[in-house]
Amino acid sequence: MPVTIDPTALGMPVELGQISRELKKLWEQDGGVSTRASLINLAVYCEGVESMRANTELIMEFTHEHACRAILIGYEPGSENQIHAWINAHCHLSRAGAKQVCCEQISFLFEGDTKKRIANILFSNLDSDLPLYLLWRGEFHDPVDEQLWAWVDRLIFDSQSWRDPKSQFALLKDSLVRSKSRLTLCDLNWTRSLHLRQALAQMFDHAENLSVLDNLKTVAIAHAPNFRSTALLLVGWFAAQLKLVFVKNEGSAFVYLNPHGNEVLFSLTAEEGRSISRCELTSDTGSIRLQRDGAGDFFRVEVRLTDNRVYNHLLPAGINATATLILEEIGGGGQHKVYLNALAASEVLL
Amino acid sequence: MPQPCNVVIFGASGDLTYRKLIPALYNLAADGDLPAALSVVGFARREKSDESFRKELQEAVGKFSRQGLNDELWKSFGERIFYHQSEFGDLEGYKRLAERLNQLDADHNTGGNRLFYLSVAPSEFGGILEKLAAVGLNKAREGAWSRVIVEKPFGTDLPSAQKLNGIVNTVFREKETYRIDHFLGKETAQNIMVLRFANSIFEPLWNHRYIDHIQITAAEPLGVEARGPYYESSGALRDMVQNHLLQLLCLVAMEPPTDLTADSVRDEKVKVVRALRPMSTEDVASNVVRGQYAAGAINGKEVIGYRAEERVSTESMTETYVALKLHVDNWRWADVPFYVRVGKRLPKGGTEIAIQFKNAPGVLFNKDAAAVGPNVLVIRIQPDEGISLRIQAKRPGAAVRVEPVKMDFHYGTSFGKASPEAYERLLLDAMSGDATLFARRDEVEGAWKFIDLIEEAWHQNPTPPALCEYPAGSWGPAEADALLERDGRAWRRM
Ligand SMILES: NC(=O)c1ccc[n+]([C@@H]2O[C@H](COP(=O)([O-])OP(=O)(O)OC[C@H]3O[C@@H](n4cnc5c(N)ncnc54)[C@H](OP(=O)(O)O)[C@@H]3O)[C@@H](O)[C@H]2O)c1
Repeated sequence: MPVTIDPTALGMPVELGQISRELKKLWEQDGGVSTRASLINLAVYCEGVESMRANTELIMEFTHEHACRAILIGYEPGSENQIHAWINAHCHLSRAGAKQVCCEQISFLFEGDTKKRIANILFSNLDSDLPLYLLWRGEFHDPVDEQLWAWVDRLIFDSQSWRDPKSQFALLKDSLVRSKSRLTLCDLNWTRSLHLRQALAQMFDHAENLSVLDNLKTVAIAHAPNFRSTALLLVGWFAAQLKLVFVKNEGSAFVYLNPHGNEVLFSLTAEEGRSISRCELTSDTGSIRLQRDGAGDFFRVEVRLTDNRVYNHLLPAGINATATLILEEIGGGGQHKVYLNALAASEVLL
Repeated sequence: MPQPCNVVIFGASGDLTYRKLIPALYNLAADGDLPAALSVVGFARREKSDESFRKELQEAVGKFSRQGLNDELWKSFGERIFYHQSEFGDLEGYKRLAERLNQLDADHNTGGNRLFYLSVAPSEFGGILEKLAAVGLNKAREGAWSRVIVEKPFGTDLPSAQKLNGIVNTVFREKETYRIDHFLGKETAQNIMVLRFANSIFEPLWNHRYIDHIQITAAEPLGVEARGPYYESSGALRDMVQNHLLQLLCLVAMEPPTDLTADSVRDEKVKVVRALRPMSTEDVASNVVRGQYAAGAINGKEVIGYRAEERVSTESMTETYVALKLHVDNWRWADVPFYVRVGKRLPKGGTEIAIQFKNAPGVLFNKDAAAVGPNVLVIRIQPDEGISLRIQAKRPGAAVRVEPVKMDFHYGTSFGKASPEAYERLLLDAMSGDATLFARRDEVEGAWKFIDLIEEAWHQNPTPPALCEYPAGSWGPAEADALLERDGRAWRRM
């Protein structure tokens, strides 16, 4: 570690105009023991000082897997108009050998009416020529800074944490159009169901199971009370992939028509437990039931075909902690076309 | 090591002398690069003794020298500095200067060699040179030399530059004339030629077959500061592009010179200037964007707009930002645009050249056009001089995921030694008679010829292109982004 600072804290306070100089000093003091590594700029936006601490821990965890320059942006409304800055480094021993690999963290606290300064300060502290990933913790507020949007390559957020996903998505969509941004939307709420989707998709690697999809009649999804939006995205995924057309709401269920003109009914139930604890597909030709037990790390999958054949599988369910989701999301890459289709298809349900 | 000499600085109580020239000479002395027999004579108007002049300069060195101030060294260096009080227009003052220099030659054994540094406004050049000639200081005695260094701006357009050159060249020969462009004194600018011609891996790629386009950026967060009146009469195009940025462009675009002599190098540079595609009024409207900063924020602090700056017109049409798309019409650079931008009140400071290579063929990893970015070679002129190369690499893991990584070379850490300041190198070269890093008359005039077309389209045109506003602290006007977007490109992120 170049300086004796607590890596879970914000680090050393610095003047706003002196950040690159102070960072340079930090590495000079180190005398070549550590290697500064950076592959991306990871900006993290959050609200409140406490949240800054929590996100610093998140960044520390993140830097073990992904070398980055982390830029933590905290916003605290209602106080005096001030901006504070800190620098810090997260170091760990590289897997390859004795060298310490370190990532820089620059933190800013924007207080009062200083929010409009965020874009400028972020722009002046980016590691040049590297992609900019922005992790947005919480809700978007109107107006979104278009200048900022135009610079972001990947925008990571968790639509599960939003009180009103419909208006949030509308705001996001509108600002993306206005800023002509081509950023990739990375919704952790989508990543959250990654293992479930993978497990389901895997079932159809067996050609004989495909008949369940072709003749799909009902899909029942059980989600934790706060994770209805996760389930809705999942419905959107089915709809987009199977080219279903939304017809109507029926009580708490949704009615769709498949390309053959047959109805498919989706029902959602809130149950205590994992974000998505169960997903059951039924058709005239069989059923597929995917269940996750309370503490288990696996999905139990039961495939029942009409001729009474039953197959059981155990598939990894992944870890749904935020840090893991972020790592998974960033490690995955891609343009997320499937997500965008799922999102478009789920919009009517929001 | 240069020969012993007397350096005479006109405008010796000015900002440039304090911040750059004397600290540069001091650093050269500290590095042992100056001849033992060297004296410095400061020429300015206000009343001052040698002692008080030295005292002020000592403070300036303490503040601005990259090596700090060493008392012992200052003692011997300071003793060789003298103050000469005179009006620029007073012939008597020059006569006394000549006598004083002769005396210094005798006392310090400086051999009659003289280097005159005109650190004054261009309007003073003529008068000073005329008087130097009148007292014969432009002509060195047998076996000695007499040279002149002139500061920027060298003219404000082609006619004024020609006039200035005419004046300078009636008093000093071209080979005795050193026109400063301090960008050329920077280590990385000098390294452009080394990078290109001492490495076999770059030059074969350095052409339209492999390079998609080139970007040259000079950005600074500072506003116009106290230079309002000067800036009002110049603007970003004349202040930065005509000289510094076109010089950098020449170094990047020129053909290999036959040898490293000053004239061989400058011959090649001037060919680039001549190959710049001249712009019609319509070309200027579509290929040049001029902007002016409005109020905004830098480093979190609110700053005023350009028109509210001190001694700036509230209706000023002076550009503080300019972005240009240029073409060098020769074989090597056919269809390779050079995008050049310069601006004040931008989020970050820095001068960089980015060579953006063409994309790898659209097969294998590059099937999805947007998936893999291009290779970019960045030459950082300032600050943190160095070179970086962006390449694509596979992210460790089972999946094949390609990510850009940056290989970075920093002068400071790689050579473990701070690069000398540009003025150090340039003063040393002028003392040594090496004009490679100075602009030659034809280069300067060629650059003005090109720039004048743009100035004319802006100022002598009934329907001039708009002056676009940008908030201080942003990366310039949206129109500048559109300039590249139109070509399917974008400014790089610094
Ligand atoms: N400052 C910079 O960073 C910088 C950078 C690049 C280029 N330049 C160029 O360098 C030149 C000098 O710049 P500067 O900033 O040093 O200028 P400055 O601070 O305005 O200094 C002007 C100097 O000229 C002297 N002077 C003016 N009129 C005089 C007269 N009639 N007789 C005798 N002395 C007279 C002044 O002496 P008194 O003080 O005794 O009146 C002072 O020493 C200019 O051409 C400028 O464009 C400057």
